Amino acid sequence: MNAAASVSPWQRLWGAYVRWSTHYPVLAALVPFVPVVALWAAVARSGLFPPVFFPGPVVVIQKFGTLMANGILPAYLEDSVIRLAAGTAVGLAIGIPLGLLVGLSDRAHRALWPVLLFFQAIGDIAWLPILLIWFGFGLTTMIFVIVYTVVFPVVLNTVLGVRSVPLELHRAARSLGASKARVVWEVVLPGALPNIMTGLRNGLGFGWRALIAAEIIVGTSGIGFLMFDARRAGSVVEILLGMIVLGVLWYIVDSWVLAPIERATGERWGLVTRRD
Amino acid sequence: MKSLTIEHLQKIYFDPFANKQVTAIRDISLAVEAGDFVSVVGPSGCGKTTMLNMIAGFLAPSGGQIRVDGHAVHGPGPDRGVVFQSFALFPWRTVLDNVAFGPKMRGVPKARRHEIAREYLALAGLSHAAERYPNELSGGMQQRVGVVRALANEPDVLLMDEPFASVDAQTRMTLQEELTRIWEQRRPTVLFITHDVNEAVFLANRVIVLSHGAVRDDIAISLPRPRSWDALIEDAGFKALAARVLQQVRAA
Repeated sequence: MNAAASVSPWQRLWGAYVRWSTHYPVLAALVPFVPVVALWAAVARSGLFPPVFFPGPVVVIQKFGTLMANGILPAYLEDSVIRLAAGTAVGLAIGIPLGLLVGLSDRAHRALWPVLLFFQAIGDIAWLPILLIWFGFGLTTMIFVIVYTVVFPVVLNTVLGVRSVPLELHRAARSLGASKARVVWEVVLPGALPNIMTGLRNGLGFGWRALIAAEIIVGTSGIGFLMFDARRAGSVVEILLGMIVLGVLWYIVDSWVLAPIERATGERWGLVTRRD
Repeated sequence: MKSLTIEHLQKIYFDPFANKQVTAIRDISLAVEAGDFVSVVGPSGCGKTTMLNMIAGFLAPSGGQIRVDGHAVHGPGPDRGVVFQSFALFPWRTVLDNVAFGPKMRGVPKARRHEIAREYLALAGLSHAAERYPNELSGGMQQRVGVVRALANEPDVLLMDEPFASVDAQTRMTLQEELTRIWEQRRPTVLFITHDVNEAVFLANRVIVLSHGAVRDDIAISLPRPRSWDALIEDAGFKALAARVLQQVRAA
């Protein structure tokens, strides 16, 4: 064996990491954060900034423990997640049928498409001033903002998906005896599903951000409220904790809910290339 | 008994850009006996695919009549099975459920329709692929599934629109031989559209040559069955028939 073909220590290390992280996905998720946290800890310890303005990871983790123990964090987390889940469910219930209608009917497309684009452009929180006047500081306002934010990406992507289903598949189903209504269920919906998932993914992402914004302005509970309340008290630790919770929560939604659905549908059927 | 009858079929489009009427099908009359295998050949633009789409019910004729088993055709229906050039399998269904789709639309219970599907898959040597998804199969395998899916619905007429045009040459010959074998066993009524003269002659009992939206020639193919490429490729009778059809297509 000559020198060119021998395996360098770096390759050995990299190879071990690739094998282990493939076997234990949790490693693939956590290891990239090691340098990030290390850098954070190093900057915090260097004394460059006063600890009150720039606390280190240990303090934030301790705060996490306290807020979990006294029940504030679980309660706020629950409030935020329920609001997001309810808003998303309503958003899907409106968005998918509307997207099917606009995608399938030329008339509906002509009549509704410009209107959809117009209202999509008025971003979620731009509605807050008028919603506060109409509904006041409460749950209705927050749910409205989330539903509004989720509906548009779902509708627009569903339309895209419906229109991407090949004409031949409609024809095949019809000539095998499917009624027009049955074709919607058997062909259009599954054919549009990868796009609907993209819409859901975008909608959830935007909705999550809109929720935090709404909680900061409207809220009496929730992660957004926690962070804004901490600012009032001057607690940078809690603000950082809130930010980290947001990131972790999104990661969980992505890897426990969205990614498994995508793997079982579009990727399995060869409609979407696997993201590796 | 006539399974498929076409009388004075006509299709005229309005082209808004040229601002004039375009004639795709001038006047076609044709009758296909039950259990017959008829090929339709012609140069591109002769109207063969337009004709098939009208028989399938995907396009409405501008004039004339299409009857299947005596009933006038309005829109697509399970009495006319279609095999597409693009296969048109449902990517979200396994091979078994693709084949069971027609029976499912008829309301056949799950166990029974899977039984039907397995029986037809066995006919094309596809039993091992029943649980796979279409994207996991080669083009040739996908089109075998396409043919079997149409057959499993037991249509009065099987309409095939250049079904083997998008597979490689070797696979195409295999598929042609398998199709003749299945046809000889089951005797479905087939209308087969192609631009490949050898394919048309090899498969059919009758070859129709289309030209400018009308029937130019109607040639009986009395080659013995079962047919195989090994036997026919150097056969004088086959060569003479293919030459005659080719001449008509080129003159068209």
